[in-house]
Amino acid sequence: MPRDIAVFDAYVPTIVLLFVVGAALTWVLDRVIAYTGVYRVVWHPSLFRASLLVCVCGLLGLAVYR
Amino acid sequence: MSTTSARASRPTSFAAWYSAASDWARTDGLTWIYLFKALAACFLALGIAMKLDLPQPRTAMTTVFIVMQPQSGMVFAKSFYRICGTLVGLVVMLALIGLFAQQPELFIATTAIWVGICTAGAARNRNFRSYGFVLAGYTAALIGIPASQHPDGAFLAALTRVAEVVLGIVCAGAVSGLVFPQFAGLQMRGAVRARFSAFVDYVSASLAGRNDRAQIEATNARFVADIVGFEAARSVAVFEGPDSRMRGGRLARLNSEFMTASTRFHALHQLMNRLREAGTHGAAIAIDALEPYFREIAPLLAKSGEPVLSAADAAHAAAQLDAYKAELPRRVRATRAALEVHPDAPLLDFDTGAELLYRFIDDLHAYAATYASLAVDTHERERWVERYEPKTNAIAAGVAGLRAALVMMVLGAFWIATAWPSGSTLTLNAAAVCALASSSPDPKRTVFQMAGGTLAASAMGLLAVYGVFPRIDGFPLLCATLAPFLLLGVFMTTRPALAGYGVGYCIFFCFLAGPDNVVHYDPSSFINDAMALVLSMLVSSVAFAVLLPPSTPWLRNRLLADLRRQVVLASRAHLARVRSRFESGARDLMFQIDALAQDDPAARRDTLRWLFSVLEVGNAVIDLRREVATLPAEARYANTMAWRVSLRAMCDALSALFERPRAERLDRALAATVDAISAVQSLLVAFAPPREERHQLQRVLSQLHFIRTALLDPQSPLAPLTAARADASEGVAHAA
Repeated sequence: MPRDIAVFDAYVPTIVLLFVVGAALTWVLDRVIAYTGVYRVVWHPSLFRASLLVCVCGLLGLAVYR
Repeated sequence: MSTTSARASRPTSFAAWYSAASDWARTDGLTWIYLFKALAACFLALGIAMKLDLPQPRTAMTTVFIVMQPQSGMVFAKSFYRICGTLVGLVVMLALIGLFAQQPELFIATTAIWVGICTAGAARNRNFRSYGFVLAGYTAALIGIPASQHPDGAFLAALTRVAEVVLGIVCAGAVSGLVFPQFAGLQMRGAVRARFSAFVDYVSASLAGRNDRAQIEATNARFVADIVGFEAARSVAVFEGPDSRMRGGRLARLNSEFMTASTRFHALHQLMNRLREAGTHGAAIAIDALEPYFREIAPLLAKSGEPVLSAADAAHAAAQLDAYKAELPRRVRATRAALEVHPDAPLLDFDTGAELLYRFIDDLHAYAATYASLAVDTHERERWVERYEPKTNAIAAGVAGLRAALVMMVLGAFWIATAWPSGSTLTLNAAAVCALASSSPDPKRTVFQMAGGTLAASAMGLLAVYGVFPRIDGFPLLCATLAPFLLLGVFMTTRPALAGYGVGYCIFFCFLAGPDNVVHYDPSSFINDAMALVLSMLVSSVAFAVLLPPSTPWLRNRLLADLRRQVVLASRAHLARVRSRFESGARDLMFQIDALAQDDPAARRDTLRWLFSVLEVGNAVIDLRREVATLPAEARYANTMAWRVSLRAMCDALSALFERPRAERLDRALAATVDAISAVQSLLVAFAPPREERHQLQRVLSQLHFIRTALLDPQSPLAPLTAARADASEGVAHAA
C-alpha cells in the first residue's frame, strides 16, 4: 500500500486513515464483546479496550509498513 | 494517657493498622492517586509534545489540567466535548481570519459576538454539553487571536494548536482510564441503592406520621438535588464503556420513575394531611377507611424484614408490589361498599385517596421493577424514549452571552488603543474566563479566586523559569523540578474551598511557565503576560458583579415564574412525553433556584412550596388529560360536550392562575374546578355508563377533587392570596 494518499489533493499518511478505520473497528468489536458479556471475566476492561485498539491499529499498520 | 491507649491497641495492632490503612485508601488515598495521575498525564503530554517538536508543548500541558477530573467518565465526557468544541472553534476561526485578517476592529467584534453566542449556548445547556459550547467559543479565541497576528501562517498555526490540544486530551483520557480508574458507574450503583433505601424510609416514616413538615421539606429538597446529580452522573457514565451504555436507558427511566413515585406519594400524603386538618366527622371516616392500607405498604418494600440492598432484593419487592396491586381494586371496592351505608360518608375524599394510593403503588412497582432490571446487561425495560429535560432561562442565558461579548469588546478596544504586546493574551483569556466561570453558581467569586491562583502561579512561574530552568538539563530533571510546583496546584483543586484558586493556578502556571523545546528567557513579556492574565480576570469579575449578576432576586423570580409556568406545559403540551418533561423540568428549575438562594432559607422554603404546588396540580392535570384521552369515541364524550368544555375552562383557569397568581384568578380557578366537578357528576348521574367507563369518569372526578383540595390547602403558597383578599374585603367593610 502507498505510504501517502491524496485526500482532496492533500497528502495524508495512509496510517492516519488506517487508524481512523481501526478506531471504528475497535468500537464495533467493543460493542460485540460487551454484548456477549466477555467483559465480565476481564480484570481491567479499559486496559483491555486500549490494548485492543493498539492491536487492531498495529495490525492495520502492517499493511503499510512491513 | 497515650501510653495506655497504645498498650490497649497493641494486641489488635495488625487489624487496627489494616482498618486505618483501608480507611486512608478510601479517603486521602484517592486524592493522592488523583494527584499522581494528573502529574503523570501532564508529563506524558509534555514529553510527547516535545518529542514531536510541537511549537507549544505548554498548550498540551494546560489542556491536561483543564480536562483532568477525579472520575474517569468525567474526563472522557469533558474530552469528547472538548474535541468537538475545538474543531467547531477551529472552523469558525479560520473563516473569521479569512474574512477580517486586515481589519482588527471587525475581527475582534466578530470574535466577541461568536464568544457571546457560545457562552449563551453554554448557559442554555447543562452538564458537559454546556462545556462543548464553552470550548467552541474560547478555543476560537485561543487559536484565532494569536493566529490573526500572523495571518500568513494562520492555517498551520491553528492546526498545530489543535494537535496540541488533542494530544493533551488523549493523554489525560488514557491515564485517567487506565491507571486506577474511578468509574461513575460504580458510584451510581451505590447511589441507586442509597436512594431506594432513603425513599423507603421516607415513605414508612411519613405514613406512620413520624415526619413533621420541616423534615419532609428537607428530605424532598435532598431528593431534588439527588435527581439532578443522578442525571449528571448518568450523562457522564455513558462515556465509560459499554457496560454503562447498555444500562443508560434504564438509569434514566429509574430517575424518571423515582420522580413520578415521589410526586405521587407527596400528593397522597398531602391529601391525608388535608383530611386530618379538616377535622370533620366525614374526614375522620375517610381517614379510618384508608389508613389500614398505608400500614401495609412499608412491609412490601422489604425482603423478609430486611431492607432492599441489591437489584435481586428489588425484584422480590417488585413481585410483592405487583401482587398487592392486583388485589387492591377489589379490596378498595369492598371498603367503599362498607362506607356507602354511612349516611355522611365522604365518598369523593375516599375515592381520591384510593385512586392516589393505587397510582402510587403502580409507580412504586415500576420503580422497583426498573431497579431489579439493572441486575442484567440487557433488558426490555431499556427501551425508554422519555428524556430528562433540563430547563434554563433564555433571558439569563442571553445575559451571560452579552456579558462575555461586552467584556471581550472592551478589552479588545483597550488592546487596539494601547497596542499592548500582551493584549492578545488579555483578550483571549477574558473569553476563556467568562465562559468557564459562567456555569458556576457564584461566578464573581470563582473568577476572583482564579485571579488569586493566577497571581500565585505568576510568582511560582517566575521562580521556576528564572530560578530553576537555567540550572537543569534533560526531561527527567524537568519533570522532577516541575512536580512540586504542579502538585501544589492539583492539591488545591481537590479541596472544594480552594478549587477556584487551584484551577487558576494549574492552568496559568502551565500557560506562563510551561517549558518549550528551546526556552526563551524574556522576563518583560513574562511579566506582561502575567499582568494581562490577572487583569482580564479582574475585569471579568467586575463584569460578573456589575452586569446583571446571576444571584439577584430578579433572576430568581424569573426562574420561579418559569417553575410555575410548568403547569401551563402540563395542561397544553402534547400528551406523549409530557410527564417526564414536566417532572424533570420542574425539578431542574427548583435545583437552579436553590443554588442561587444558597444563603436564604426563607426563599428556598418558598421555592419548595411552589414546587410542591406545581407538581400536585400539574400531575393531576396530566392524569386528567390521560383519562379523558382514553375515553371511547362516543357522542357523549365528544370534545364539544358541556363537561369537556368545563374541563378545558378549568385547565385554562389553572394556567392563568399559575402564570400570574392573583386573588381573583384563584377565585376563577376554584369556581372553574367546582363547575367541572358538578359537570362530571351530572354526567355520571344522567346515564349509566358501562363499568369501565364509569370507573374512568370517577377517576376524572377524583383528580378534579384533588386539584380543588390543592388549591384550598392553607399550607400552599396560594393561601396568602386568599388571606390578602380577606384583608381587603375587611378593609372595604371598615370603609363602608
